[in-house]
Amino acid sequence: MCQGGRGFRRQPAELLRLVKAQPWLQFDYIQKLFCDVLKLGVNKLKVAVIGFGKMGVLHDGILNVLPKVRLVAVCEKSGLIRRFMKKLFKDVFVVDDVSGLSDLGLDAVYVTTPISCHFAVVKSIYNRRVASNVFVEKPLASNYGEARELCDLALKFGGVNMVGYMRRFSVTFKKAKELLNQGVIGEPISFSAYTYSSDFFGVDKNSKAHTPKISVLRDLGCHAIDLALWFFGDFKVKNAKVDSLFGEDSEDSVFFEVETEGGVGGKFNVSWCVDGYRMPEVGFTVEGSKGFMRVNDDVLELSLNCGEKLRWFRHDLKDGVGFWLGAPEYYREDECFVEAVLRGGSVEPCFETAAKVDRLIDEVLVKAGRVG
Amino acid sequence: MGSQGRVLLVGDNPFHGISHLSQERSRVRGNTPTNPEYAARLIGLSVENGADGFMFSVSGTTLSILDILRKNGDNDGLRLYAIVPYAYEYVRLASALGGVPGLAKKLVREIVFSGNFGAVASGLNGVMRSDLASLVKTYLLYEISRVRHSAGGKAELESVLLHQLITDLCLGLGLDWVFKFYTEFLLKKGITPGFNTGNFALLVKKLKEWDINVEDVVIAAPFNKVGFQMVPSKEECEKALTSLPKPNVLAISILAAGYLKPEEAADYIAGLPNIKGVAVGVSKEKHARETFKLLREKLL
Repeated sequence: MCQGGRGFRRQPAELLRLVKAQPWLQFDYIQKLFCDVLKLGVNKLKVAVIGFGKMGVLHDGILNVLPKVRLVAVCEKSGLIRRFMKKLFKDVFVVDDVSGLSDLGLDAVYVTTPISCHFAVVKSIYNRRVASNVFVEKPLASNYGEARELCDLALKFGGVNMVGYMRRFSVTFKKAKELLNQGVIGEPISFSAYTYSSDFFGVDKNSKAHTPKISVLRDLGCHAIDLALWFFGDFKVKNAKVDSLFGEDSEDSVFFEVETEGGVGGKFNVSWCVDGYRMPEVGFTVEGSKGFMRVNDDVLELSLNCGEKLRWFRHDLKDGVGFWLGAPEYYREDECFVEAVLRGGSVEPCFETAAKVDRLIDEVLVKAGRVG
Repeated sequence: MGSQGRVLLVGDNPFHGISHLSQERSRVRGNTPTNPEYAARLIGLSVENGADGFMFSVSGTTLSILDILRKNGDNDGLRLYAIVPYAYEYVRLASALGGVPGLAKKLVREIVFSGNFGAVASGLNGVMRSDLASLVKTYLLYEISRVRHSAGGKAELESVLLHQLITDLCLGLGLDWVFKFYTEFLLKKGITPGFNTGNFALLVKKLKEWDINVEDVVIAAPFNKVGFQMVPSKEECEKALTSLPKPNVLAISILAAGYLKPEEAADYIAGLPNIKGVAVGVSKEKHARETFKLLREKLL
């Protein structure tokens, strides 16, 4: 089966739409018969996961319980891990390279490799026509140039594409977005954002431990940038400062200021060396013309100029999901991607949206004198 | 143990600086509850007021707490429910040691130097034959020996529970052999196998499907009046609870991470069937006294 004449399998959801559009199938019962037959195919989406690290395992676990998904293959570079995986998964293909996924008739692929490999892996998925629906863990790429190229490929080959900025699926941030859209705190005037973790807090600078080669901004800070884009629209970086705590090459703490197209000023603090952040945490304080909003992964608070104060914890915001692994956000994110593939629609954050984050990270590093 | 056979356990979340309400709350608490001396005092006070055990993730902090309890003679008859592996510590170590290979090297070194020859032999077998079951066995032997060494002979290691992240991951991946192997191995060791899960209803369903006798295991899962972290829903979890043949559930998150008042939390638990016990974390001496006095009144 082909999609758009480019050699991909056509999605069952797309076939459903085509059947419904046929003039020779005007009788309801014939349409229904065709639809029922096609829906059998809709039931199970064939998915592969590339990269069996922390995030790969997590998505594997969630995808496997989603009723409309069948995990059919896993791709992993490490020979040792592959050896164990073959014993672990009896009904799943275990391959060492993207090329090994080519003939499996996959509907979708999850890319959960290290960030530095995203570009080559996603490019290979498209060029080898492994699948047209691609999910990539955040961030999309290692720089804007790569991200842009992936956007062009996604546009050329069609299908659903999504990047794992899972905090958009957190109940506190979703509620914050809803309230901002409703203008509950009036017009935004300024905001400050942070992403902190204690991953490297207290680590001796002279110890063997080292921070990842990828900047803290691309690894952690990308979440805050993505949320800021979602909340306030696009912005430009005014100034930036990067600190290295574990040698000149590492980027462990970043501060930068921005201004949105609407003239809203923003400040960002990002670090993985802060005490008290056992789990990475993202938070915002927003000043509006009618009051303040404070939101993070756990709680949302409003303090309005009229004196009213409101607070919501996760408990208050219907945080339930069908299966809980890691955090409820991951389940919602995977469910959303799968549903989009099944109905043949688009989903946010797509590659185009996520590429803006990569562009802004590049801008910050240039302003801080780190690249270019 | 109380008149209905229920156990009241001190939970260890505050000792690890964890609050599931918000990280901010644990930052406000400061480092006092994470001090092993202070934590051991809180456990002692809780026991004086009705608690009869300690449920904990096996980590450097909780092993230090057990050491102190043993040295102070506060371990006599203390029922221990150990959770392994402490996933957070291992993820953090992997980050700091340059990934999984660095973590594996550290773990191998520790197992070898622990002097547990059974664990070493099983581990070698596991590596040579890529045998996951042998590696799981190695790891369990190592953790059990660590807990017993710190807790001393007077404390009773009643159950070793698989950490929530691992239980739910294996559940998601449908790895029935892990549940079977884990259950059989611990039963042979005379320890009740346990599973800590965030997907209680699904776990109960799958254990039955996989022919694992649910009477042989304990399950630690969230149960609270507001349905916080009860997946897929409060109703489904209650239904699965009712379907069990005997009380073997340890209710956790009964206060919904501090969202509920202890009275209303205890009233809800008192009305549920098949509850073997509860685990509640305390971060202040006042909490230790009041909470367990109340739980004793309401649940025993």
